[in-house]
Amino acid sequence: MSIWEKLTSIPREVIMGLVFIAILIPALNPLGLPLMVGSMSQAWYDTVDDMPAGSILLFDIGYGSGGYPSLGPGNIAAFHQMFEKDLRIVIMATALEGSMMYPLIMAGVKPESNYGAVYGEDYVFLGYIAGGQTAMAGVLGDLHALASTDYQGTSLSSLPLAAEVSGADDYDLVVYLTTSGDTAEGWVYQAYSQYNRPLIGGMLSMMTTSMKPYYDSGQLLGLMDGIKGAADMEFLTNHPGDAIVSSDILSFTQALVLILILIGNVAFWMQKGGGK
Amino acid sequence: MDYRRDIPLAITFLVGIVAVLDYYTTLESVTNTFTVIKNWGVVLQAFALGLGAVNLFRVHGKRLSERTREDWMFSGWLLLMMVLFVVVGLGTGKYDTSTQYNWIYQALYLPLGATMYSSLAFYMAYGSYKVLRARNFEAALLFITAVLVIIGNTPIFPATFPGLFHLREWIFGPIVSGAYRGIRIGVGIGAVVLGIKTLVGLETGYLGRR
Amino acid sequence: MVSMDPQIWIAALLTLAATSYAFRDNKAFKFAEFTFIGVAAGHQIVMGIKNIRDYGWSHLMQGEMIYIVVFLLGIMLYARYHKEYYWLYRYPIAFLVGNGIGISIRAGIHSDFTLQIAQTATPLIASTAMGSINNIITFVGVITALSHFIFTYEGMHKDALGWGPKIGRWMILLALGASFGNTVMTRFGMYQGRVIFLLREWLQIIA
Repeated sequence: MSIWEKLTSIPREVIMGLVFIAILIPALNPLGLPLMVGSMSQAWYDTVDDMPAGSILLFDIGYGSGGYPSLGPGNIAAFHQMFEKDLRIVIMATALEGSMMYPLIMAGVKPESNYGAVYGEDYVFLGYIAGGQTAMAGVLGDLHALASTDYQGTSLSSLPLAAEVSGADDYDLVVYLTTSGDTAEGWVYQAYSQYNRPLIGGMLSMMTTSMKPYYDSGQLLGLMDGIKGAADMEFLTNHPGDAIVSSDILSFTQALVLILILIGNVAFWMQKGGGK
Repeated sequence: MDYRRDIPLAITFLVGIVAVLDYYTTLESVTNTFTVIKNWGVVLQAFALGLGAVNLFRVHGKRLSERTREDWMFSGWLLLMMVLFVVVGLGTGKYDTSTQYNWIYQALYLPLGATMYSSLAFYMAYGSYKVLRARNFEAALLFITAVLVIIGNTPIFPATFPGLFHLREWIFGPIVSGAYRGIRIGVGIGAVVLGIKTLVGLETGYLGRR
Repeated sequence: MVSMDPQIWIAALLTLAATSYAFRDNKAFKFAEFTFIGVAAGHQIVMGIKNIRDYGWSHLMQGEMIYIVVFLLGIMLYARYHKEYYWLYRYPIAFLVGNGIGISIRAGIHSDFTLQIAQTATPLIASTAMGSINNIITFVGVITALSHFIFTYEGMHKDALGWGPKIGRWMILLALGASFGNTVMTRFGMYQGRVIFLLREWLQIIA
């Protein structure tokens, strides 16, 4: 077997092992590389930053355990910014596991101890609402016709923030984080097209390309793309967390992928060129 | 009239038309009717969540009772896990807000959910090595942008040469925007056409077998 | 100092079991896979019942007796498993499909069609040379990518006209390459979270 044939047929277990090592090394010894903030994340940050204190936001936790490693850190950073600016947040979940993400996110933000936020006055969680776009349209259309309690069963009329909002016109900004393409598009259709609300959205990086047309046409005012966007948010809000830590891991793993791609292509072409 | 097909088709049309009219008119009667439809839709979607579980019970219950398959014990474990979550969730009366339910969620569901999707990372690396080849001109096009974007996404490279990050941002500008906007328009037209065909009864696949 | 929390241990062992598939299919992965399917289905049932209580039963208790119809429709969904009366499930499905289509197409025309065309129909010449080049590339990308999907006119992919779809395919391939690059980052971005959990919460060897 020539060297080129060997290089095109490295065993799968060897590759997997190299990937595992490439993840472990930077996790144990962080490099602390500088971050370059993307324009779409900057736009997200600026949109929230421009909101006057007291503005009401509708926030959808549209992801679950699969998206938590990428979007969770971004969610925490986003909430830090919102609570710092005294924005009031009506939180809902269109994802089945969204209501399970909520306590994890709040454990990272600690709004009461960090910002003196009061549940019911500064933020409210409606819980998971089934139906995807139907839920979105329901909350934006007439919240109190749909729901009468929050996620713990407390009457919405007894929660000042929830009592204050009834429909889309009461929200100054709609925000979502999701791993679902249907949810990402659904919010554009409902919040922007139907109810004409300003909208920013966050999603996995691999969804960014298909959602970019909405950002270009102004339907999305900001876009948090996956782990990179989350790292940008942590940097911009000055709340470093797991996303910034992951930057070092991404350096090693993606560099390894590039080396493997290079080896594969060079070996392929050398084989093809008869360099046996 | 075939009540098994025609009435469902009529329901689809009427419900869909109310939703569309709500967008294009400001009639209070339409808005109120659509509010009711939306609220009903949420409840029906909630009922639909159980369909998957029923199917799992049928399939794995059969495997467990027959015990002919090699992995029949796994089927039993699957059903046990399902029952565990239901018992803990409903038993406390607090559903997903109970401490016990959050405990088992974070012990069982969260790590598995997070790992199942992410372990594809290993396959991405292997697949990139094996398959991402610039074999011809068109493959080279995909190869070029893939490599440039990976370089731009790898923090160590832009930290050394900032231009690589700007190149990545540029690729996401005119190139991705142009092509994906064309795709988005095409998909949008297709979705609207399919939607209209379904509403007027020309597409009946959702009704299942005759 | 390794964690003594049983929750962390269960989570860590399941993470390792699920990761083991990367090396080869094995019983540990199968165990993790079946656990995942079971807990996911259980969670669906719990959330489904909670939603029925909060958004259906609550209305019924408030005196909106029309919600009895909703409950009947919901139960009819499960008729699909019946040999003879399977057709009953078509009624609630028709409602859901009509609702879903109505809700999405009304705004889809605006978002996916009107606004996208409006954005494309902006002036090609910008204040800077690079801006103009970008606008031209975007415009060419949109038109050619769209022309690539025209199959109703045979001559579209032939001779001189065929250049449009050809360039469109090239633009799409360039964009798909970018999408692939982002997908690599997505997957590694997901898995790093698990590694951080194993090292920080379980083995406690990083801060």
